[in-house]
Amino acid sequence: MSERMAKLIFWVGTLSSLALFLALTWDTHHAFAALTHADRLDPNVVAGKRVFEKHNCNDCHTILGFGGYYAPDLTRAYKRLGEDAVRLRLESPEKVFADSYRKMPQQHLAAAEVDRLVDFLRWVSEIDNHDWPPQDSEGHWKASTRRLVGAAAMSPGAALVSQENCLACHALGDAGERRGPRLEYVATRRDADYIARYLADPQAITPGSAMPRFDQLSESQRRAIAEFITSLAERRTP
Amino acid sequence: MTYQTQRVAYPYFVVALLLFALQLVMGLYIAFNYFYTVPQAVVDVFPFSTARAMHTNLLVLWLLLGFMGATYYAIPEETQSELAWPKVAYAQLVLLSGTGVAALVGFLFGWTQGRPLLEIPTTLDVLVVVGALMFLANVGVTILRARRFTATQGTLLSGLVFLALMYLFGMPFYENLAIDWYYWWWVIHLWVEGAWELVTAALVAFMLIQLTGVERKVVEKWLYVELGLFLFTGLAGTGHHYYWIAAPRYWLWVGGVFSALEPLPIALMLWDTWQSMKESRRPQPRLTWIYVIGMAVLHFVGAGLFGFAHTLPQINYYTHGSQVTVSHGHLAFFGAYALLNLSFFYFAMPRLKGFPEGRYDERGGHWGFWLTSSAVVGMSLAMAVAGVLQTYLERVQGQPYIVAQSPMRFWMFVVFAHGVLVLAGALLIIRHLLTLRPAPAGGS
Repeated sequence: MSERMAKLIFWVGTLSSLALFLALTWDTHHAFAALTHADRLDPNVVAGKRVFEKHNCNDCHTILGFGGYYAPDLTRAYKRLGEDAVRLRLESPEKVFADSYRKMPQQHLAAAEVDRLVDFLRWVSEIDNHDWPPQDSEGHWKASTRRLVGAAAMSPGAALVSQENCLACHALGDAGERRGPRLEYVATRRDADYIARYLADPQAITPGSAMPRFDQLSESQRRAIAEFITSLAERRTP
Repeated sequence: MTYQTQRVAYPYFVVALLLFALQLVMGLYIAFNYFYTVPQAVVDVFPFSTARAMHTNLLVLWLLLGFMGATYYAIPEETQSELAWPKVAYAQLVLLSGTGVAALVGFLFGWTQGRPLLEIPTTLDVLVVVGALMFLANVGVTILRARRFTATQGTLLSGLVFLALMYLFGMPFYENLAIDWYYWWWVIHLWVEGAWELVTAALVAFMLIQLTGVERKVVEKWLYVELGLFLFTGLAGTGHHYYWIAAPRYWLWVGGVFSALEPLPIALMLWDTWQSMKESRRPQPRLTWIYVIGMAVLHFVGAGLFGFAHTLPQINYYTHGSQVTVSHGHLAFFGAYALLNLSFFYFAMPRLKGFPEGRYDERGGHWGFWLTSSAVVGMSLAMAVAGVLQTYLERVQGQPYIVAQSPMRFWMFVVFAHGVLVLAGALLIIRHLLTLRPAPAGGS
């Protein structure tokens, strides 16, 4: 290879790639507004991002998959956990993770800081990023619904979930609200005994929880609900 | 060493080596956190996030100080003149080290910009910029005064200017998280797969010319080709970080295609280095070549192969942001940039000490290389196992994060055990480098 040829490779390679990169950067900037719903990016969300940075959340958690890998990804945390569970984790991590083998620091956030973080996480949870991450993706929840349709009709637990209107707060498959954690998420983390006890008196296990007591149900009814919920897990770790 | 002012490089190397040791200590603490339950009272005061900020910033600081020292060593040789302002070079080292210490202490008290790898607060960013300007001015004026231009020093200088310019994109506050990450990668990706690769290619070319006596024209011809390929694949290859940040869909194509080609220039550099060593007409200490070839091989494996393994969007959808990324990151940084610096130290430090023909007593030095390198490879493989577990359990099966982490803890313990060996090996390297003796008479 001649030196002339080598120089040609250098200039053509560098300039062609640079031109493509800058052109796409220009175009991407115009696309961000729609893909991130920039119209919902109000001062509260921006203030939430500042709180997020002030407490260095991103060096334990990933968001959009970037950051520390020590704690769960936050891209869809708002949708996965629901607002109340997000607040509880921000306000009392030492209680929420008392039994966990991994802790979250108690940073004594002001009430307004918690509000702003919730605003930020809500906005992030709605951006259109090709349905990533897979474990929180719409595709994943639709598959969960399909699995349910066959089995749920025969289950007394499913009938009770419907009767007690659990989906007014919890998500299940692609239905339900997102105030509490989604039921599939509960299923993979908790066993039937725990859920049955929790239904009887949530405050006894998680002080400050927004979940109402279901002590008007019989113990066997609570047990039926609990067993239905644990059956939602694709796979449990013993 | 031919010029008196090359001496300014020596303290840069010493500070870099000490920071390297500190970086590894923080790394061990991080790995420890993954398998051991650190009590709430400790987490409240010294959380994982603080340790990680220290680990990564120490990495960047020691590598950059190493690059700067290497540049101060190389520029007088390349321009065949003394450095313009040696005193400014010392002042710059004091400034940057001081800024680094202030940043580390600040992290302990929660003084942070809160963005991974770019945690240094804006006030200190300004000092970093001042230090960078002192550095670039010193090098630039030396080149201009000497009026002797070579492809190697041109590459080195443009790599360093590119590096400094990209740093600026990491300084502002971005309101939109997606735009924030878009430019965060202009710093991180365009550093490690752009500017730093230019610096690497230039420093390797400089070392090869000096070590082998191979004709400059031949080395510099391959330098042009490598740079062309590095920048062709690396610039548009930034797209592999834009798959899932709410950027348009075409990035899946651009990122996938260009980054699939990224191993090519690294393979070329490996081949080129190997050829030069074989054609070498000057005897060199065996350990120096072990470092140079070790760097070329692990650069290719860590950055090229481990990077390619999860760069295609179809795979990256499941592996993104998992321990697979961590595995690649560690082997790539070690192979490409830690070993580049250590190779340069082994090349330059005996010459700075005025040993005849740069020969030194190799005894005790080989253990350091082999222990550290094999332990880093073992550590990266353990991280990869943890990453594949995480990918399958969390991403494919949909287990909650903390449930999927449970079976990974054993592998993070394996990471920690290898980390202990990495630290032990690094301490051997540091001790050997700081106490180099001339080669015994009659020996090679």
